[in-house]
Amino acid sequence: MPTIRAASASLRLRSLDARYGLLGALLIAPTVLVFCTVIVYPLVSAIYLGLFSIYTPTMEGEWVGLDNYRRLLASGEFWRSLANNLIWTAGTLTLQIVFGILVALMLHRNLVFRALARSLVLFPYFLSTVVAVLVWRWLFNDLYGVLNHLLLWAGIVDLPVDWLGSMPNAMISLIFVGAWKYFPFVVIAVLARLQAIPDELYEAASIDGAGAWARFTDVTLPQLRDVLIVVVLLRTIWDFKEFDLIYLLTGGGPIIGTQTLPLMVYKEAFALNQMGGASATAVLMMLIMLLFMSLYLSRARD
Amino acid sequence: MSGYSSKGGITRRAALRGALALCAGAAGLKSLPARANTTIRWWSTQSSPEQLAAYRFQIAAFEAQHPDVRVLFEQTSDEGYPAQLAAAFAGGNVPNLVTHLPSFAVADYWQAGLLAPFDPVIESVGSDRFFAGTNRVYEIEPGVHAAAGIGNTAANMLWLRTDLMQQAGIESAPETWDELRAACRQMQGRGIYGAQLPYARNSATSLVIVCFIHGAGGQILSPDLDVAIDSDEAVDALEFYRSMRELCPPGATGYSWGETLGAFVSGATATGLYAGRVLVNVNTRNPRLAEHVTCVPFPTVSAGVPPWTFNDYPSVFIPADAPDLEMTRRFAAWLYEGEGYIRQLHATPGHILPVLQTAAEDERYLDHELVRRYRDEIALMSTSAAAGHNLGWESPEHRINVKAGALVNSGILAEMVQRVVLNEEQPRTVLADTARRIETIMNA
Repeated sequence: MPTIRAASASLRLRSLDARYGLLGALLIAPTVLVFCTVIVYPLVSAIYLGLFSIYTPTMEGEWVGLDNYRRLLASGEFWRSLANNLIWTAGTLTLQIVFGILVALMLHRNLVFRALARSLVLFPYFLSTVVAVLVWRWLFNDLYGVLNHLLLWAGIVDLPVDWLGSMPNAMISLIFVGAWKYFPFVVIAVLARLQAIPDELYEAASIDGAGAWARFTDVTLPQLRDVLIVVVLLRTIWDFKEFDLIYLLTGGGPIIGTQTLPLMVYKEAFALNQMGGASATAVLMMLIMLLFMSLYLSRARD
Repeated sequence: MSGYSSKGGITRRAALRGALALCAGAAGLKSLPARANTTIRWWSTQSSPEQLAAYRFQIAAFEAQHPDVRVLFEQTSDEGYPAQLAAAFAGGNVPNLVTHLPSFAVADYWQAGLLAPFDPVIESVGSDRFFAGTNRVYEIEPGVHAAAGIGNTAANMLWLRTDLMQQAGIESAPETWDELRAACRQMQGRGIYGAQLPYARNSATSLVIVCFIHGAGGQILSPDLDVAIDSDEAVDALEFYRSMRELCPPGATGYSWGETLGAFVSGATATGLYAGRVLVNVNTRNPRLAEHVTCVPFPTVSAGVPPWTFNDYPSVFIPADAPDLEMTRRFAAWLYEGEGYIRQLHATPGHILPVLQTAAEDERYLDHELVRRYRDEIALMSTSAAAGHNLGWESPEHRINVKAGALVNSGILAEMVQRVVLNEEQPRTVLADTARRIETIMNA
């Protein structure tokens, strides 16, 4: 009898386990479903489409295997776009971090109208990209732009500068506008961390004879390390795949001087109507970003 | 159970009931019969305030005749339509009607089987009311029209400031490139540039350089659509185009149609390459120039080469998957009717030129201040546009090029210009490379 009872109890337990397991699966099912819909499906779809030659308006085409990838890797345009992508990302990110930390340090001090200054500094980040680009295009305008008027008035140049239509001006302008638009994100993150650094650390450093620069390099920067790692990670991802700002400001020109990989994806998909080529470019872009992120995170962990 | 918690807030249960009631209400609202049973979505690249007013008049009149129909106007742009339409076709969410796209875009969509035959609309309007040959460019397959013209445009007229010409002692309009360059040099100064040609990486630059290659006596493709751009004439065109750079504003490297128009209308340039929209814009935005503008056919390399007018043949077409095809066709025909069509033409006198002989001769069309005032200019543009061509149909001997849209959208021609002008590469080398790239697209 005891053996039967034990077996029956064990069966009940197993059935309970199974029911709990089923309940667990049911509870996570919505999450899995959403994950598959918004991440797995588009990803698999992009990889799949990259193996076809597809005319965008009809979405019809034929299997070409890895031809799209071979064509891309053999084309100078892909490598030039990748190089532009890296220059843009590194340039704008560096300026964002430098401006962001500087402004955050300033806003951390007891300034007059500090609250107002903190609100105003966020303005570029909140501004719609389309509006920001219109404003900057107007500032850069050759005939009526304030920048050229000031330069001509100051006698720095004899003729208006072509800010967006010639190289390297176009890339420099782009990097600068990108930094202006997105540095407030760095300010928010760094300012939050600055406010959490204990004053005792600065007091101890001062007692040890550390000057302002030494306090910044030996106390502030190490304390900002964790937040900067996250900020650099996020901003690199966002800047690498930036589309609207670049497309609206230069359209990738002159020639392909400021064409980055996202613009190339767009051009393939909608200007050349080659959805397969566009998907292949997007997949390569994702792989490149994954590679950089893995390297960055492994370095950051070390 | 008052629905309020002891702390005075709303209880969760009450909130849930409220939410359910809202959902039920929304579902109920959805089941109410709609006022309009049919919605016609109309896309156009032409949407200046004056044109929008004309469209609103046509839409209101049509809706008054068809109370169960609602027409929704949505604007697109010359640079943006390829992407927007590609996405619309791919997503199966096409507009009912698209107007003012160039004929070469129509050819591209037609060859992919994306358009409905337009002949029923042409018959409904009355094929004999159109100027002879107007719709030839849309007859991509013999006997079937993919679209119809809604207007003609002489897009590359040379606009001149007669006051500046007089000041510079220039007695007659330039007829050759050398004369044009000399005139621009003479008029340039005191903050005014000689010309406003586009040098950007966009469709405007692509289409304008085609005009210059033809103005040199060359062509992009032969009548049988073999690549013919790698020629001495194209070298001449590129070298002349490069020589004009110093006479254009520095920002011309970013100019599209809008900027070229703005530069001339604002008085920043002495000459301009554009269509008839200059007239309405000068008169409404810079009236002090109104007495001093005129236009002539764009000069060519020499007197022996006749002017080549770029007419983009603004079209009307219906996507094959457009819902409510019959009502859409009725609305498409309505766009050509009586006062509505004349209002469209009056919105930009001289820019969209009539394709209906009956409209061109209509007293109501002729009785407009700008049409009367610039009668000679409009007559010249009408004649030029009627004999005009574009990349999709380069000459009467040419076959319709269904790849012209792909060529323009690829940016190959604009890049060719930028390589020669901005990078200072040798035209011959760039042309050889461009010819290869064009061949790839033509063979795709």
